[in-house]
Amino acid sequence: MESHDGAWSLKEVQKLEGHTDRVWSVAWNPAAGVAGVPAMLASCSGDKTVRVWEQNPSSSSWFCKAVLDETHTRTVRSCAWSPSGKLLATGSFDATTAIWENVGGDFECVSTLEGHENEVKSVCWNASGSLLATCGRDRSVWIWEVLPGNEFECASVLQGHTQDVKMVQWHPTMDILFSCSYDNTIKIWAEDGDDDWHCVQTLSEANGDDLTIKVWETDSAKMMSGDGYVPWSHVCTLSGYHDRTIFSVHWSREGIIASGAADDAIRFFVESKDGSVDGPSYKMILRNEKAHDMDVNSVRWSHGENRFLASASDDGTVKIWELVPVI
Amino acid sequence: MDVRPEPADAGSDIFDSSLNLEDAHFREGYADGHRHGVAAGREEGRQVGLKTGFETGEELGFYRGCVGVWGSAIRADPTRYSARVQKSVRTMEALLDGYPTMEPEDERVQEMMGHLRLKFRAVCASLGAKLENRGYLKGVDNKDVEF
Repeated sequence: MESHDGAWSLKEVQKLEGHTDRVWSVAWNPAAGVAGVPAMLASCSGDKTVRVWEQNPSSSSWFCKAVLDETHTRTVRSCAWSPSGKLLATGSFDATTAIWENVGGDFECVSTLEGHENEVKSVCWNASGSLLATCGRDRSVWIWEVLPGNEFECASVLQGHTQDVKMVQWHPTMDILFSCSYDNTIKIWAEDGDDDWHCVQTLSEANGDDLTIKVWETDSAKMMSGDGYVPWSHVCTLSGYHDRTIFSVHWSREGIIASGAADDAIRFFVESKDGSVDGPSYKMILRNEKAHDMDVNSVRWSHGENRFLASASDDGTVKIWELVPVI
Repeated sequence: MDVRPEPADAGSDIFDSSLNLEDAHFREGYADGHRHGVAAGREEGRQVGLKTGFETGEELGFYRGCVGVWGSAIRADPTRYSARVQKSVRTMEALLDGYPTMEPEDERVQEMMGHLRLKFRAVCASLGAKLENRGYLKGVDNKDVEF
């Protein structure tokens, strides 16, 4: 990253209003905002709906393109676009995951995945879009395979966590799945060929709490060269920056970590090039104190070559920001 | 209860009899309790064993039934079922065949039942089937059930 050692500022680009209850999550459409396609964003809420927002290319302002309602019967907790941008998965407390297809600007629910016994907490597509992972309060993680004709088949039901599974996330390049749970562990799942998924590593930090950010690393090159599984190890903890629960963290393409917390603030961190410490260390470059009127539930960087960030809050709004260096 | 003092011998004194009395009562009471405990424990264990055996058999039977129907459907029209679903059904069949029903203390039983349950949920989800083993004992007040 071009290092800018000076100050940064967070510019509020627009506040998106419309949801009638807290907004839990936002997701940028990865196929939009490039090659002339207007940028697109999805947000999901306690009001049981999902809103799709689009940026008007000429005026650059955002408007609500669609409201996906009358499908989920309870809070929609998580939403994620497939890598192609053609499908949107939405996970709800009603125990189902809905799959929506973008048909020329209209969104249609093309499939409903049932199986979880209760609230679905998180949904995530793998890098190629061939698999979808879901997890929930029933302590299980489900892996679904995408088949032609928007058919979905359950490839595996993973048990192992002893409490609520809050979030699942795929590795950006390998088909390795990460899940984190109220049981204070992160589990890493990999496939041993032919639907045989199992837990290859469990990360647990005895003194973890919800006021710190932890960074882990592995030798990716070695893993991808097929030398077998290389375990992840904890390399850094960012503590002392948050005094209320951190709800969301996201890494930008340039390596800027954004965090959203219960104190209504958004913070940004970059690796500090001190070199004096063993392993990477991070410093806070900006804290936007009153980013929202209430808890910030989710922060997400845009996929493009820019520094746009979307945030979702208990205050019922979504905000679009731009992180700009102050010259 | 004999309160006459024991005959004196080397190492005993006039208090020995009282102390031995307490000891004798302790031992008698212990033996009594042990006898009753064994009998009650055995009966309770029998009830638990019957109940668990019933529930296990019922669950295995339920999966047997499902797998039987699915197996027939697959044989009737294999093209309508994906390779994955067919394989999962075969896996369930193998687990059911291999389940050590006559050896409840075989340590594999927990793992095998867990595996069956997960495969069952996965197949149901893939087929869009809403099946549930409601079980004879669920929702029934345990006091009313006796074997």
